[in-house]
Formats: sequence, structure tokens, C-alpha cells
Amino acid sequence: MTDVRAPETDPFDPAAERDDQPRPGPASPGGGTFGLADWLKWVWRQLTSMRIALVLLFLLALGSVPGSMLPQQGTNPAGVQQYYASHPALAPWLSHLGLFNVFGAPWFAAIYLLLFASLVGCVVPRTFRLAGSARTLPPRAPRHLARLPRSAEYATALPPGDAVEVAAGVLAGHGFRLRRPADPADAGHWVSAEKGYLREVGNLLFHLALLGVLVSVALGGLFGYKADRLLIQGDTFADTASALDEFYPGRFVTAADLGPFTITLNKFDASYISSGSQRGQPSAFDAQISYTEQPGGPTRTGQLEVNRPLSVDGAKVYLIGHGYAPEFRVTDARGQVVYNAATPFISGTTGNFLSEGVVKVPDAQPEQLGFTGVFVPTAVDVGGTLESVFPAADNPVVSLIAYAGNLGVNTGVSQSVYQLDTGGMKRLTTNPQLLLPGQSLKLPGGQGTITFTGYVPWASLTITHDPGQLPALICGIAALGGLLLSFMIRRRRVFVRARSGEHGTTVQVGGLARTDASGGFEDEFATLAAELRSAHEQAAPEKPAAHRQQEGE
Amino acid sequence: MLSPALRAPWLRARRRTLVLAAAVLTGVLLAVVLVAGWAGGGNSGVTDVGGNASAIIYAAGHRPLAPEFTGTTLTGSKLSFSSYRGQVVVLNFWGSWCDPCREEAPTLAVVAQQYQSAVTFLGVDERDTTASAEAFTRNFGITYPSLNDPSQEIALDFTAVVPLEGTPTTLVIDRTGHIAGAVFGTATYPELTAILAKVTTKAGAR
Repeated sequence: MTDVRAPETDPFDPAAERDDQPRPGPASPGGGTFGLADWLKWVWRQLTSMRIALVLLFLLALGSVPGSMLPQQGTNPAGVQQYYASHPALAPWLSHLGLFNVFGAPWFAAIYLLLFASLVGCVVPRTFRLAGSARTLPPRAPRHLARLPRSAEYATALPPGDAVEVAAGVLAGHGFRLRRPADPADAGHWVSAEKGYLREVGNLLFHLALLGVLVSVALGGLFGYKADRLLIQGDTFADTASALDEFYPGRFVTAADLGPFTITLNKFDASYISSGSQRGQPSAFDAQISYTEQPGGPTRTGQLEVNRPLSVDGAKVYLIGHGYAPEFRVTDARGQVVYNAATPFISGTTGNFLSEGVVKVPDAQPEQLGFTGVFVPTAVDVGGTLESVFPAADNPVVSLIAYAGNLGVNTGVSQSVYQLDTGGMKRLTTNPQLLLPGQSLKLPGGQGTITFTGYVPWASLTITHDPGQLPALICGIAALGGLLLSFMIRRRRVFVRARSGEHGTTVQVGGLARTDASGGFEDEFATLAAELRSAHEQAAPEKPAAHRQQEGE
Repeated sequence: MLSPALRAPWLRARRRTLVLAAAVLTGVLLAVVLVAGWAGGGNSGVTDVGGNASAIIYAAGHRPLAPEFTGTTLTGSKLSFSSYRGQVVVLNFWGSWCDPCREEAPTLAVVAQQYQSAVTFLGVDERDTTASAEAFTRNFGITYPSLNDPSQEIALDFTAVVPLEGTPTTLVIDRTGHIAGAVFGTATYPELTAILAKVTTKAGAR
């Protein structure tokens, strides 16, 4: 899979090997017993073959499909619970297969570890072979240069040895790598010249960069982390594991490795297109933040926009979402304020930020209180149901259903803050109660009062640290550069032979280039041959030149 | 170019070595990843309470120094941790929103009552609002003060010493300001009293 050469066997390069050569299998001839070592060798050869690498790559892609089709435990635990509720028979089976946690499943790990092994096992030996091929000398000059794709022949007054000497000087001046016979008396007068080794260098660069990409990805996975945090406007959070909503550390990352920064969301603005067919589409998001790099450090201000992250302390902070957090004040039956907070509500993907959320008041007396709510930013009554017609909060309304009883939060089992377990509760209001900002709902039976005091926006941030990102980018660019080099540069060879005949010395020039690269060798060869000829003419002593003649062997 | 006949044996021998090297390299890489990933590191001077990794005791001499921090209590008074030097302190990070905190709160109230002459309790209320926090302490009969830490900056101060993996976390700090033990997650009566036994006796008090 890593061969950027032409499919045909390379006549230039004995080191280049076909990847898809039939590999000897267990039933291969050669007789004898096929022992454990042979089996292992066979398995290794299979694993590092291009075919298996492609199969593994395909499996990796196939394996990630359920990761995007089904809700995943890490990113969407609520979605998983929902799936369990709606598919009670199927969900446990999917869970057994790890389909709710695809990227952490053993079978997924098996695929990518095998792919990694396959790539390393393929690329490393190939890299060494290419390094060897980039160092080779040109081959000996063939005997019959006229049979080469390009050839020229002329006579010179120079003796053969001098003629070859002059030719070598010209070719060396053009950057060719030269080879001369070890003993001219024995092998004749010739010089072989080859150019375009940069092609091999490019190929080598491509392979090394590919290894670099693999290592970079591994680096990111082992030493990087990703974390999420929802931040209500006006709130501050410190980057500690306990302050993060989700924390996915790499294998070698612990909570102690988090950068000690704090971020305050001073103001969040979202603007939307207010007319036309794009009405309701966001036109801009702008999160004004202030942050300190470490406790006691200077406070800086900054701005987060989508795809324009903040770099702080080696980590990148991305703005990835936003929503509304309606503010509620709850007074219990004894008249004490037991809840006074902005509560993040989560919007679906459609519905103009029609958002749902839950208010839990575990310390209300005499009974715990719970509310399920819907926040409608621009409410319009459509046939008896409220719909949001615009994502901005132009006519905010909250609709609440109140419950009293046991929230089930005192047993130590952590619940989702976005879900209300009404199993131990009784419903206090039969219909959803609508509240405008400032309005209150008196709970029946003197259980208390809830007031919708206002709303603030929230923004969700993703904090990532990927030490492999920059190396991966550099290696990616290097791989591309190497690929281009190996595609655009062609290896070409020029041979010069000089033989003494009856009428002086005959110089034969032959050349060939790889056929799978772009053309232009004809012109190059013609220019070079002309240059060689004029060099020979200039170097020749003042004496009538012998006429050209054909000479064959 | 060397003739294939000259080149091939060398190449074949060389290739075998290379393939072997690649196989070994891959194997070693995988082994390192697997071993390092699943073995985890040992920490000298630390013992688990009752074989439970959620509670640890630092041996005397291995206790990390607790950082200095100040804050405002839920009732609005300024408080500096340095004023607790010379006392054994139970520092409990909690939040009214945190379900395991609700589970452990009765235990903390009882232990605070039992050890009131020997141990000072201090809460750090994380990511919370005053109304909810006060309702919580009223409900569970928590009488010791708590610092308001909505942004969890006090938790951040501890990151370099004992990273708080989550809320709740309970630290026991000896008279010299060193951390003698920690409970990660719901603190139970046996865990808390086992750590306190190390610092309230003369030997462990330092």
C-alpha cells in the first residue's frame, strides 16, 4: 500500500519489490515440515502484506460506523439510556458487543493495533530498502548503446580514454552520478551516468513521514486529552478534573497533567439571520472570556469563536455549542429559598433552540421538589402547543411540570443532571404551566413557589491537548512532498562508450528514462548529446576530423 | 548496477534481518503500550484503606504539604487555611448537586460531632450556589463552615499535590499542614476514622 512506483517491475532497481507477489503459504513447496517458526513467519508476512493492510483499513472504517449511528457512552450517555428505553430487547446485546462504546471496545482496539503492526511491519523494511536503492551506483554501460531508446553516435579525434574523460566531465557538470570501469583495459572505455536519485529520496521521505504520522497519532492518544465543560455566562471554571463535565485522558495522562488555568465566560452573544430563506441560521457566535494561565497569574481577556480556539497552557479551548440557562428561584413549604440558580437547558438539533431541562431541589422541605421544563426562546402558540419560531430569546417562555417526593439522589448513585427520575415522585401539576420572566408558579398544597427570574446564555467548551498534532501535520506535509518528488522526478541514465576504429574514435551515447514519469527526456537527451559532441570537438587536437561512420558489433 | 546474482543473497539476508527487526520493534512498542496502559504505577509511602483504592493513607514522612488557600465562607466571612495550622483538619470538597456528597453528609456530620474536640472540619463547596448550599447544610445538620468555591479554584490549588478526580473528595491534614490521607468519592465511617486514627494519636500527630 505504500508503493508509489509504477506497477511494472522496475528495471532500474533490484531493491524494489512487488508488494503483491504471491507469498509462500503454509502449503508452499520446498518440502519438509512447516513448523511453528514457519507459521509465525507466514502470519507476519500475511499481516504486513498490502492486502491485509487494506482489509484492516476497511474494517476500521466499517467498525466506526456504529460509533456514528448509535449513541455512544462517552459522548452521549443520555442517548444510550434513551436507546435502552426504546429498544429494551436489543440494547443489552448491542452493549455486549461494545457498540455503545465502539472506540473503547476490545475488537476495535484489536483492529487498530493490527493495522498499526501491519503498517510498521510493511514500512520499516521498505524504508531500509529504499535507503539502499538511493545509494546505488549506476549500472555498467551496456555493450550496444544503439539499442537503447535514445542513442547518438559520432566520431572524434580524441583517443577513447580522453573522450570518455571529457564526457564524464560534461555529465558530472550536469549533476549525474558516474560510474567508470574498474579496469578500462579489460572492460573498454565507458562511463555510466545516472540522475534523478531525488526520486528515491522522495520515496524514502514519504515512507519515513508515514511512520512519523503513525507515531504522532500514537503520541496524541497516549499523552493527549480531551475534556468538555459547559459554562454559564458569568461563571468561572478552573481546569481540574473535578470541574470538568467530561474528561477523556490519554493512557499516560492523569488529572495532575491538566494545565492550571481558569476561564470566565464574561459574555456570550449569538446572532442570527432575521429574514430571508436563511432566517434563523446563526450568523455569528462570540464568547468574550477572561482567563489566567495559572493561579495568581495576570488576567487576560480573549474571544472564542467557532473554529478559532484559544491556546492556553499547551491546550486548545474550542467553543462548540451554546444554549439557554433559565434562572429559577424556588421557595419551599417553610418559606426558605432552597434554590436560586441558572440551570442549563439543552436544545435539540431542530426547533429553534426549544430547550429541555430539569430543576432538582433536593433540599426542599418537607419533600424534595423536581421540575421538568421547556424553554422556548421565541414562543408562538401553534394550535395549542408552544413552538419556537426563532432561536434568539425574543419572547422567552418557560413551561414547567412540578413533582414532589423522592428524587432518588441521596443514595450516592450519580444521576444525570438533565434527567428527572419521577419514579418516587408525584406530579403536582396536571398540565404544563407557562411562565414569563418574572412570573411565579405557586405549587399546590402549599409545597412552595418557583419563580422564572430570567435567563442567561451558556457556552460549551472543549479543551483538547494533542501533542501529536503538530508532528502529524509536519509529517503529513513531508509525506505529500515526498510523494510529489517521487512522482515528478524520473530516474534517467546516460551511457557513453568510446571505441577506437580505423578512422579514429567512435563515441556512442545512449540514454533511457523511466516511462512512467512525465516526458521530456528526448529533449534532454538531444541537448546532452549535442553538448557532449561539441565538448569532444573542442577538446580534439587540430586535425581533420574523421567522417562519421556507422560501426556495429 | 550489481548483477542480480551478486546482489540477491546479500539482499535476502539483509531483508530477513530487517523484517525481524520490524517485528521485534512492533512487538516491543505494543508491549510497552499494553503494560504501561494497564499496569499503572505504584506510589511508595501510600497504603490503601482496607484494600480500597478510593481511600489512601500517606506514611509519616511521605505526606505532601497542603497548599495555602483563602476564601469566603457561605455565611460571608473571610477564612484563611493558614489559621488552621496546629490543628488536625478534615477538608471536605462537596456540592449540593453532587449525589455521593448527599450520601456521605450524614457520616461527616456524625464524625464531626464525635471528633469535635480533636479535629476541625472545613468544607469547600464546589460549583454551587449559596441558596442550595445553605439548604443542604441545614438539612444534614452540618455545623462546620464551608468555603464558597463556585469556580473550583481551591480545588485547582490542590492539583499539583493531590489531584481531585471529582467531587466529593475528603482530605485529612495533620497538625503541620501535611496531607495524611484522602478519600476519593463517598467517604465512609471506617475510612475516615482509620485515617483520623493515624493523626490523632501521639505517634501520628508529628
